[in-house]
Amino acid sequence: MIVPYSHVLALAGIVFLMGMVCTVTRRNLIMILLGLEIMLNAGALALVGASLRWMSMDGQAMALFIIVVAAAEVSVGLALIVCVYRRTGSVDPNFTETAAPEKPSV
Amino acid sequence: MTIYSAIFYLLAALIIATTALAITRRNLVHAVVYLVISFFGSALLFFLLGAPFLAALEVIIYAGAIMVLFLFIVMMLRIEESKRRIFPLSQWIPAAVLCVIYLGMLAVILSGIEGDMRLETAVAVPAAFSMWIFRHGWLAVEIASLILLVALIGALHIGRRPAAADKKEAQ
Amino acid sequence: MTTTATLSDPNVATTLAACAAPLLAFAAIFLGARRFARLSAGLSIGAVTVSLAGAVFLLAANWHAEAPQVFSASWLVSDAVRIPVGVLLDPISLLMMTVVAVICFLVQIYSLGYMAGDPGFSRYYGFMSLFAWAMLSLTLSSSLFQLYVFWELVGLSSYLLIGFWYEKFSASQAGKKAFVMTRAGDVAFMLGLFVLLVGAGTLDVTAVNGPAAARMNPSLITLSALLIFGGIVGKSAQFPLLTWLPDAMEGPTPVSALLHSATMVAAGVFLFARLFPFFRQSPAAMGVFLVIGTVSMLLSSTMAMVSRDIKQVWAYSTISQLGFMIMGLAAGSFFAGVFHLTTHAGFKALLFLCSGVVIHALDTNDMFEIARKKGRRLKLAMICMTLAAAALAGIPPLSGFFSKESILAALAALDNPIWLAAALLGVLLTAYYAFRLIFIILFPRPELVQPESGRGHGSGHGAGTAMGSALVVLAAATLALGFAAAPLARFLSGDPAAAHPGPHLPWLPYAGIGLAAGGLLLAWFEFGRPAADQKGFVERVPALAALFANRWYIDVFYARLISRLVDRGLAWLCAKTDQRVIDAGLDAASKHIIRSSGVLSALQSGMIQHRLLVLFAVVVMLGLYFIA
Repeated sequence: MIVPYSHVLALAGIVFLMGMVCTVTRRNLIMILLGLEIMLNAGALALVGASLRWMSMDGQAMALFIIVVAAAEVSVGLALIVCVYRRTGSVDPNFTETAAPEKPSV
Repeated sequence: MTIYSAIFYLLAALIIATTALAITRRNLVHAVVYLVISFFGSALLFFLLGAPFLAALEVIIYAGAIMVLFLFIVMMLRIEESKRRIFPLSQWIPAAVLCVIYLGMLAVILSGIEGDMRLETAVAVPAAFSMWIFRHGWLAVEIASLILLVALIGALHIGRRPAAADKKEAQ
Repeated sequence: MTTTATLSDPNVATTLAACAAPLLAFAAIFLGARRFARLSAGLSIGAVTVSLAGAVFLLAANWHAEAPQVFSASWLVSDAVRIPVGVLLDPISLLMMTVVAVICFLVQIYSLGYMAGDPGFSRYYGFMSLFAWAMLSLTLSSSLFQLYVFWELVGLSSYLLIGFWYEKFSASQAGKKAFVMTRAGDVAFMLGLFVLLVGAGTLDVTAVNGPAAARMNPSLITLSALLIFGGIVGKSAQFPLLTWLPDAMEGPTPVSALLHSATMVAAGVFLFARLFPFFRQSPAAMGVFLVIGTVSMLLSSTMAMVSRDIKQVWAYSTISQLGFMIMGLAAGSFFAGVFHLTTHAGFKALLFLCSGVVIHALDTNDMFEIARKKGRRLKLAMICMTLAAAALAGIPPLSGFFSKESILAALAALDNPIWLAAALLGVLLTAYYAFRLIFIILFPRPELVQPESGRGHGSGHGAGTAMGSALVVLAAATLALGFAAAPLARFLSGDPAAAHPGPHLPWLPYAGIGLAAGGLLLAWFEFGRPAADQKGFVERVPALAALFANRWYIDVFYARLISRLVDRGLAWLCAKTDQRVIDAGLDAASKHIIRSSGVLSALQSGMIQHRLLVLFAVVVMLGLYFIA
């Protein structure tokens, strides 16, 4: 007897929300990627809980694949960030300010 | 309240607290370290929920590989401390509105779950889990391996220094 | 009423072959044979010979045919509107086809001599073939839409032939003028076709002439008849679009003979005859046609009285004779108009071809100049021209007398005697100006005649065989055609009595002859008799002469109108529109676009996080949607 499934779900939802807030608000590409990792982790958490709730391996298998995807995604994402940093000297996601120094005169 | 549920709440509090700390840190190294703690918490939670194999993977891959990768990048890029507000207002306000809506939705969903029975303890032994996944999801495993391969090659390609930059550095 | 024929029918096959041959010749000349002048001429004449043979065969085969034959296939089908393409063989189209083929054939033979040595010889025959194809197809069209297509093709080939000597500025100007003025009429024609299509739902000739028009609103009939008549006015150079025809004489003389006397300008009258039953349903429109025919006839007669250019005199007489035909048709006599069309084609082509011989030999268009250079030594040409002028004047027993007399009879049947009076005046004027020209050339004033030069063009350089044979054939036709009135009447309207429409007035032929003779005598008195000072009565009144010579200032009026309306009015309007509407509109539009794009660009900040925010918002909204 652990806890009701809804509690697991609530925990996963809150963690997901925190990842989302991090992704949307932090002005730093690395933090955005971190936020994505948090969200993926929250998804995995919900799936593992669901696996126990219905006594099925499917959820755990799905969580496994999430971890795989997270690993792949973070490697490519970090490579992209390095690339961007090389080109602009910054990790600010606001490309109009960094990538294009001359703003269109309107 | 059983011992298991006590552990669950303890871990949940730990995860939420460290994640919250992680996303608010100005220093990226601190953020990554807090997040490593959060992922350790998650790994323990996986163990509690009967997935020891996933718990191991979580520690190895998430808390180990991914976070270390982050640390490497953070150290490599020498990112200067931003003097700006950590949460710019123009982004923060819509995000806050979205949060409120999201929380409302979450509450609705959670309250809508019927027959909310408590979870029984059970364990998926790694051997059984592996047997199961290779029997039922062998194709997905292959695809996952392919994804990793592609990611490897892609990261190599993207992260490669342009030839001109190489020359410039050499001079 | 009509019988529907199939493709294997000998009539239809012959028709298609006769129409297609000149087109093939045109294509062959312009695709390959252009460099070989003799080959081009051979191709073109061969093709027109095929057409001629086909036309004669069809005329003979259908001389006793009971009902018109139609062969048609659907071309455009759109809901209830069906536009067919095909051939219609009925008396009027067969007669017109034969006339066109004969004149085309003779003119092409004649051109062998006239155009010999011209650098554009092949081009000339190519355009001739194009014209022959368009004109033959026009006469045989079974639907008005098809007819319109060939009508425009005829206009195009006319433009090309008038401006044939395009190095000459006046020739290219004349071609342009003819093209633009006839287009003005064609716009009306096209609108008329639309009205007809809306009203009757069909453009099929037999349907328009028969049942479809009966269902139409009478005012709609009048409207479409008047609009279609606009096309006729343009093509047949009637008032007020009559000034292009005299200028069109800039083209080679055989072209003038072919297009601007015998066939192309007659296409307008042909269209009138083709839609005669339809037009007759609107008495109001017929009244307008009568007025326009009369005005054109009288105006152009007066212009011809003062012109010194031999070709222009015939051009004016063409307008006036076309006016005669339209008067005859508008007076309600189908036969009179068509008969005059036929005889006119013969004697007018003869007149032009004779003039061509004279111009070719003496190298001038001015009649006094011709007289001075002893134009009368060109015996064959002068005999034929006198003969044709007599036919034009309406002297019996030549063809013009008979056809003009039947028009007079048709006019006599009208209630209002003014039309008959106008026509009789026209007869008088026609005889006067025709013989004025003849007498000036035949009896030059002795003191003006050049001394014998010996080496002159005159004696040896008359009509060659090619040119001469065409003249002889046409002269024979002019002599003989008049006596074909009764059989033609039976063929055209199935009733020999149609040759004499209206009440039988025994004095009418004598009046016609008397007036023609009067005109002739007046011309003799002023130009012919040895003591004459060769000054017409019109020229004794300078103002009147100037009025006539300047074509009643119609061209001046057009020029003024255009300069006022287009240059000042329209151009001013356009300039204002350009400044106030277009420029200002563009300015305002661009200003607003810049402003609104400034607003919109806030959305496109290039910031990942804004997009992510939207993405999450959408996901959350979707979640709300699914749980709700």
